[in-house]
Amino acid sequence: MSARRPFAFAVLFVVLVGFAASSALAQIRLPGKIGDAAQKAKDAAKIIKIVRNGFGDITEEEEYYIGRSVAALILSRYPVFDKPALTQYLNTLGNAVALFSDRPEIFAGWHFLVLDTDEVNALAAPGGMIFVTRGLLLRCPDEDTLGMILAHEIGHVVAKHGLQSIKKSRLTEAFTALGAQAAEAYGPAELAQVTSIFEGVLSDIVEKLVVNGYDRKSEYEADSLSVKFGAATGYDPNGLLRFLQTMVGDSSTVSGKGWFKTHPTPEDRLAKSKAEIGRLKVTPALEEVRTPRFKQAMALLK
Amino acid sequence: MKRTRVPAPAAAALAVVCLLAAADTLVVKVQTTPLRQAPQFFAPTVAALKVGDKLELIATQGAWRQVKTAAGLTGWIHSSAAEVPKFTLMAMSGGTKTEASAKEAALAGKGFSKEIERNYRAKHADVSFVWVDKMAALAVPAAQVEDFLKKGKLGEGRSSQ
Repeated sequence: MSARRPFAFAVLFVVLVGFAASSALAQIRLPGKIGDAAQKAKDAAKIIKIVRNGFGDITEEEEYYIGRSVAALILSRYPVFDKPALTQYLNTLGNAVALFSDRPEIFAGWHFLVLDTDEVNALAAPGGMIFVTRGLLLRCPDEDTLGMILAHEIGHVVAKHGLQSIKKSRLTEAFTALGAQAAEAYGPAELAQVTSIFEGVLSDIVEKLVVNGYDRKSEYEADSLSVKFGAATGYDPNGLLRFLQTMVGDSSTVSGKGWFKTHPTPEDRLAKSKAEIGRLKVTPALEEVRTPRFKQAMALLK
Repeated sequence: MKRTRVPAPAAAALAVVCLLAAADTLVVKVQTTPLRQAPQFFAPTVAALKVGDKLELIATQGAWRQVKTAAGLTGWIHSSAAEVPKFTLMAMSGGTKTEASAKEAALAGKGFSKEIERNYRAKHADVSFVWVDKMAALAVPAAQVEDFLKKGKLGEGRSSQ
């Protein structure tokens, strides 16, 4: 009985999805049955609504353009720590970890930059633009720890946590506006409307990313993905624990950000990550061979 | 074991879903991706594919897809670089053999684009994109990543404790 139940649910699910899809599609006059322009516009809007209704339906290209503007807003708050050799090291390390993530290929590649602040923080804009602060780098005792932190940020992008912070009503408004006119190019009014929705999207994401911080669920998921991607790369996943340990009892990492409201405590993250590491089949070890290049790159922080 | 009877409408719906799943066309969803000789990141490149390129799926091996390009070239891409096009799914389930018009495909692609960014930047001259463009231009050659992994005993050469 219990063995058959999942099968029954699966069949029911397939049937429901099938019916939903076919009935929705039946209402659309597909190309070939040509109607007037107004009808075509209505059809196009319906197509858009069926094709796109949630954050997961934002295309990779849109995610990239959203991410670029989010990155610009982050960069309007923090100066860049511009040391090309350090940037190069960070990007090589980040790209190495991204290869072992669930999203090695992303619209315009993975990019990493150091922000010149004593604050201890890391931020991931949608589309793969990732920032770490100078203060955070100073807390990393080894390459494996830094690798795990970048894996955590890559995890936020892979799980699309930034896009998930866009208000549902805003998405509905966006997809409706985008499908409203059957024109190939934006008209001036439409361009203004879509740009204003775009501004709303950016403020939803920046508020979550920079002002409030992610909620517990997203942070735990990013920690879990960090263990998965970091260990797959070959980094010692305990590096994540070494970093979290430095945050225990340190209020400066969240000072003035109001992050305590929704952000999990380092203690909770430590406990969950420890359990996650315990579930790994193979746990990579810290390798001394990585120490010289890490020390060389970090010497550039001074 | 009792046989499960599937009612006709359910079977029809199932057929629709199976058809959808059986779609053998992929479309590149990232700006560029290499078509590789083998299902490995550092395998030699056959050709450079770009966003929107249509590919015929030949075989699947883990996260890798063996594909054939419109020009007849065969090679491997990572699954994260391509997707099953939604319009193919719609045309297939429409009952008649129809292709979504280029116009509607363009419409579906209309969204937060370069044009919207341009308009946003015109409205917000105080938000600088200088470093965003510099950041987007940061490129790490595949050979450099391969060397970094190898020298750091990472990737294929990783150790365990």
